[in-house]
Formats: sequence, structure tokens, C-alpha cells
Amino acid sequence: MKRVLNTVLLIVFVITLNFIIFELMPGTQASISNLVQNPRVFDPTQVARLLKLYNFCKEVTITGPHSYNCVPTTIWDRFSAYFVNMITFNFGDSFQTNKPVLHDMIQTGRLVNTLTLLGVATTVALLIGTLLGVVAAAKRGSIFDSGSVTLSLITFSLPTFWMGLLFIMIFANRLQLFPSGGVTPAYWAIKTPDLLGQFLTRVQYLFLPALTLTLFFYGGNLLLTRATMTEALSEDYSNTGRAKGLPERTVLFKHALKNASLPLVTNAALSFGGLLGGAIITETVFNWDGLGFWLFNAIGWKDYPVMQAMFFIIALCVIAANFISDIFYGILDPRIKYE
Amino acid sequence: MSENTSVPYSLVRFKRFFFNLLRNKKSAAGLTLLSIFVFIAVAGPLLTPYTPLGSVVSAQLNPPSWIVYFTGPLGWSQNAEFTGIKASSITGATLTTTSIGGDSASFSAASGASGGTVEVQKFVTWTYPGPAKRFVTSLSITPGPTILGQTVIATVYLDRFVGGVRDARWNIFDKTIDSNSTFEVNLDSISGDLRVRLGLSTSNIDPAQLIFSRQADYAYALELTLPPSANIDFSLQNFKLQIRGSTWGWLGTDQAGHDILTQLIYGARLSLIVGLLATFIGVGLGLVVGLIAGYLGRIVDEVLMRFTDMMLVIPGLPLLIVLVNVLGPSLTNIILVLGFLGWMGFARVVRSQVLSLRERPFIEAAKASGAGTGYITLRHILPNVVSLTYVNLALSVPAAIVGEAALSFLGLGDQTSVTWGRMLELARESGGSATNLFWWWVIPPGIGIALVSLSFILIGFSLDELFNPRLRRRR
Repeated sequence: MKRVLNTVLLIVFVITLNFIIFELMPGTQASISNLVQNPRVFDPTQVARLLKLYNFCKEVTITGPHSYNCVPTTIWDRFSAYFVNMITFNFGDSFQTNKPVLHDMIQTGRLVNTLTLLGVATTVALLIGTLLGVVAAAKRGSIFDSGSVTLSLITFSLPTFWMGLLFIMIFANRLQLFPSGGVTPAYWAIKTPDLLGQFLTRVQYLFLPALTLTLFFYGGNLLLTRATMTEALSEDYSNTGRAKGLPERTVLFKHALKNASLPLVTNAALSFGGLLGGAIITETVFNWDGLGFWLFNAIGWKDYPVMQAMFFIIALCVIAANFISDIFYGILDPRIKYE
Repeated sequence: MSENTSVPYSLVRFKRFFFNLLRNKKSAAGLTLLSIFVFIAVAGPLLTPYTPLGSVVSAQLNPPSWIVYFTGPLGWSQNAEFTGIKASSITGATLTTTSIGGDSASFSAASGASGGTVEVQKFVTWTYPGPAKRFVTSLSITPGPTILGQTVIATVYLDRFVGGVRDARWNIFDKTIDSNSTFEVNLDSISGDLRVRLGLSTSNIDPAQLIFSRQADYAYALELTLPPSANIDFSLQNFKLQIRGSTWGWLGTDQAGHDILTQLIYGARLSLIVGLLATFIGVGLGLVVGLIAGYLGRIVDEVLMRFTDMMLVIPGLPLLIVLVNVLGPSLTNIILVLGFLGWMGFARVVRSQVLSLRERPFIEAAKASGAGTGYITLRHILPNVVSLTYVNLALSVPAAIVGEAALSFLGLGDQTSVTWGRMLELARESGGSATNLFWWWVIPPGIGIALVSLSFILIGFSLDELFNPRLRRRR
């Protein structure tokens, strides 16, 4: 119950923060006062429509060809309206397309694109990172150990976008193995190949962005797995397992990894926000038409409804990830109980 | 160390600490690397004569000069400049030179009954196996007042000499002069006019590639054709022609012909400043919040830590993007935002340390002898969390540098300054598409970011080992 309350509180906090940021935004108030002070320049019906649309006036009555009366809203009115809009996912219209933000997000396939990229990269990174971490911990001090630790430290400290650019230069431009960006080739608009062809081409387009994001993510995971596994392997139950004559593999994966996985789950949830940040950059580098690339374009357009919505949704995802990891915690370690 | 009692103890302790740090292989490597970067950052203007976005040093998108060691010299060239100014009479005129040298000449020309021609030349020997990529010329000429009422034809040529004999001549400019005001001729081989004049309007070849394509002697010549029986003074200034080759310097050039090495050097300065300042703000805030929460406890602790946790959960990069977008992308704003979003983790660490310190006997003793909260916090608790501060300082700088680079890369960097992130943004933007990435432009800033991060990480890790002896034993 306390967890749920915490989560709700967090969502309220995010909405408030979002509201404060965009309320304080220098552009809005200036343009509104400009509208109000120079009504002559604009068509009053249009102005009235905008003032109501952006919730700056409770009531607008047009009093003449160039004048109108406005009953201004208080900050509290605006906040409550904003709050309701946010929790009902009513984000308004995108400045770029004049269509609802939610429509642009889902119907255009952006959400699916991002989920594909994130899903593939996270799965691969978790698998590789954990596996290599376990092996490194098992063979501590070997060349494999120091090699994989060094490599993950390197990929960890290299900027994601730079790695992406390098991959484009090497694999796309020089070796011409993969396309340099995009989700699907342009000619699909004219002629779409059969399903197998579609799948293979999609994989080809997905490869480089997924590789970049995987490399961004697997290093931290490897280091953490290695650290927790080292700890777990020196515990008594591991020695007991070995003394019983269990195969090393059973000790590693059934006994040690199970106990070491608790911090891994927390870390996966905590680093989810960072992963989304990495996805924004990766999508931008590879023109991958997902939510991150959309956010990048929204920056250029000053498309505030999209930016607000993206910030809110990304924060929601992270909050949800934390909540789920908390529940997982209870399942993995029955000693932890939540009322 | 006690033999020299005049040195304050804190200094001795620092010295001992510093030597310990140097004895560790990792931190010695990190410190060396870092001091190289700090030197580059501080001595930037001494290391390069150019400015990052102000000086055009060579043709656009030139690879580094050392590329010839990998590809062979064939097809490559470097910059060259015409020198050795010389004035002479060609036909039917007598020339009296009053002064000549460098880029300028003053002379008077007197023509005979059928007119006459005088010439000013500069020379270059083109020794590179490949053609030039571009050239820019300049000259400004001021005739004396005796020109009034007469007309002089000024023509600018490029001549090629093979074996001392002129075998080709290109007329790149001509104009009739009839007033004694100064006029200037500035030509750029990339301009459309010159292409049309040389019949290259439909091809991709730059006039420089056409003209400077053979190993030969070239002359840059200004010819002045005088009317009959004239006697006119001329003052020629700024008589220059720069040939821009197809390679440049250590790290080549960008889209506009700026020196990438200069950008890298100035980028080091800004990236380090951003990283350090943002980290100082973040660590300072974290220290204050952690100390207050940890020592005051109760409701203050509860509120502060709840707030910290909330800030920790909010995804960093989207918040950065939104905030910088709202506040405006200036370097100050970026530093402030990075700093104000970087304190949470450290605040938690400090708080837990303070919580454990609070129960130690020496705090009890201080309390018993009547010390106040502020005094205990500043004099007893703060010195015991300072070691944490050092470690965190070192480990937070890379995050701030990479954060700034990511913001710049997304187009939210300071548009007036060159950081490493902005270099990468420019490298990506100017190419137009991802298929036009140039390795000499993309690789250096990334290596810069990676090496600076690495140096701080190495220092941070070894500081951690130094302050927590437990870590050393476990390895």
C-alpha cells in the first residue's frame, strides 16, 4: 500500500514539475500579453479561440471588431485543468501536424518502433551482460575477466552518439553492410516485399541502432553482475554446493546467480531512465522514427505539447519500471513483504 | 615529514596524499592524462594561431596531411602561397618603381606614342603531385590623379611556365579603370563567375583544380594597359593569391575550411569548464542536502530524502532537454541545469555517512562539551565526509561532460561556442546526411571526450581505494 501511495505521489510530482516548467516558460506569458495588448493585429475570434484553447481565460466575450473581454484564469485553475489533461492523456495537438499528440505517437508507429528497439537492445544487453558477468566472476583474475571488464568500462565511458556515428561510418558507409538510418526503406511506400523479405530488411535496419544501444547498456550490467556474483560465490551456500559435488554450472546459475539477481533487478529498473535517454540519442543518430527521434524533432520545432507529453510519458515509464521492480523484489526474495 | 615545522600540517598531509596518489599506477595514468588536457585547455591560444570558427585555413573538408603516408602522395596537395613580387614593363612603356616588396608595390608607368603595358607578378612553384582544391585572390589598386580623363585596362592572369616558357594563360579578371579611387579585386575559385569565365559552369571541377594540376611554375599577374602618351602612378596593395590544397595540418578541416585541431583545443577548454563547474554545483548541493538531512534528521530528513528520491526517479536526459529548451541554450544555463540535476545520488551517500557518524563517540563528546549543531556539522562531520566529496567530484565530471556533449549533439548546445559535442553536431549536420561523415571530423572529439572521462574515472577509482582501504584488500 505504501508503494502504491509512493507511486501516486511521484506521478503528481512529475505533473507538477512539468506544469511549473512550462508555466515559467518565457515564451508563453510574453505572447499572451502581446495578444492581449495588441488585439488590433489579430482577428478577435481567433484570439478568443486561442485564449480559451490554452486556458488563459475562463470566459471570452467579443465586444467589438478589435476588442474582447477576458476573465483571466488563476494559476490554480490552469493547474487543475492541466492535471486532468495529463492523467487522461489529453496532451493537445502537436504544433508540427496539428493532430492530437497521442495520435501522432501511436498511429504513426512511433511507439511500436521505440518498443522494438528498446526491447531488443534491453534483452540482448541483459542476457550478454549477465552471462559475461557470471563467467567473469567465475574466472576471476583471468584474461577473460580483465578483458571483459576493460571492454565494458570502455563502452560505458564512450558517448553513445559517437559510437553510433562510428558504426555508421564503418558498417554503413565503408562496408555498406547496413543502411545508415531509418526504420524501413523508402521504396516500401511503392512496393512492399513479401513477409520474409520485410522481416529481413527490418532486421537489417534495426541492427546498428540496437547494437549501439546494447553496447551502451550491457557494460554497467556486466560490472554489477560480476560484483554481486563475486560476493555470492564467496558465501557459504556456494561452498556447500561445491562440497556436495554439484556441477560448477549449477552452483553458478542456480545458487549464486539467483541470490545475486536482487541488485540486478533494482539496477535494471533504476537504469531504465538512463536507457530511455540513450534511446533518444540513438534514435536521433540513426533517424529511427521512434519517440526519441520525435522528441528531437519537437525540440527543433519548439513543439511544446509533444515535449510535455514525451517528458510525462517517459517519466511514467520509469515510475512504472520502479514499481514493477519493487514487486519483483518481493517475488525473488520472499523475506521482503509488503503490506 | 615533521622535520620542517614551518610547513602547515594540512600542506604536509596534502603532499603525502598526493605522493600516495602518484604511487598508484592507475591514478598516475589518470593524473598524467588529465594534466595534458588541462595544459591544452589553459594554453589553448598559445598552441594554435587560429580561432575555432573564425579563421579559414584551407579548403573545405580536407583530410589531415599525414593521409599521404597511407594512401601515397598521388592526388594530394597542400596550401601554397605566391611570393617574390616583381614589376616589369612588357611593351612600349617605361616603368619606375618607387617601392616594392611583400604584397605591395608603388610605381609609375609612362607609355609611348602607341600605348604600352606594364605587369606586376608573383610566383609559386607547384610541387605537389595532386591538383589544388581552391584558390582565393586579392588585390587593391589606387591609380594617381593623372589617370583622370584616360582609361587603363587592368587584367588579372594566371600563367603557367614549363621549363621557363609560358605554356598556358588564364584570364581570370579584367576591368577598365578611369578614376583615381581605389578598387579591389577579390576572387574565390568557388564562385560561379569564375567558373563561367573559364568554361567550367557545367562541370564539377573547381578552377583551381583545372589550373594548378601540373607540377610547374605559376605566376599571378596583373597587367595594366595604358593609353598612348600617359604617365600614371599606381599603388598596389594586398597583392595575394593563396592556393588551398586538398590536405591540411594535423586534423584536417571542416565544412567551411576551419581548422579542426583548433576546434578540438578550444573544445577541451569549454568541455572541462562545463564538466568541472557543473560538478562543483552538483556536489556542493549534494553535500548541503546530505549534511542537513543526515544531521537534522526527523521531518527535515524525511522531506529532503523523499524529494531526492523523486528527483532520482525522474529521467535525466528528457528533463535536461526540456529545461534547457525552456531556459535557452546558453553555456551558463547548461552548466546550471547539469549542476542542479546532478546532486541527488551524492546527497544520499553523504546522508548515510552522516547518519553513521552521528552516533560515534566523538560527536557525543562534542555535544557533551556544549558544541552547537552548526559547529559540530562544520568542524566534526564535514571533515569526515570530505573524502567522499573528492571521489564523487572525480566520478561526476565525465557524466557532466558527456551530458553537455549529448545536449549539444541534440542541437541544444550553445550555438556561439565550440565544445566537443557541438563539433560532433556540426560534423553530422553539415554532411547533410549520415552518408557524408568524415572520419577526421568525427573521431577526434569523441576520443577527447572518452580520454577525459577515462582520466577522471581512473582518478576517482584510485581515490576511492585510497580512502576506503577495505576495497584494496578485496582485490
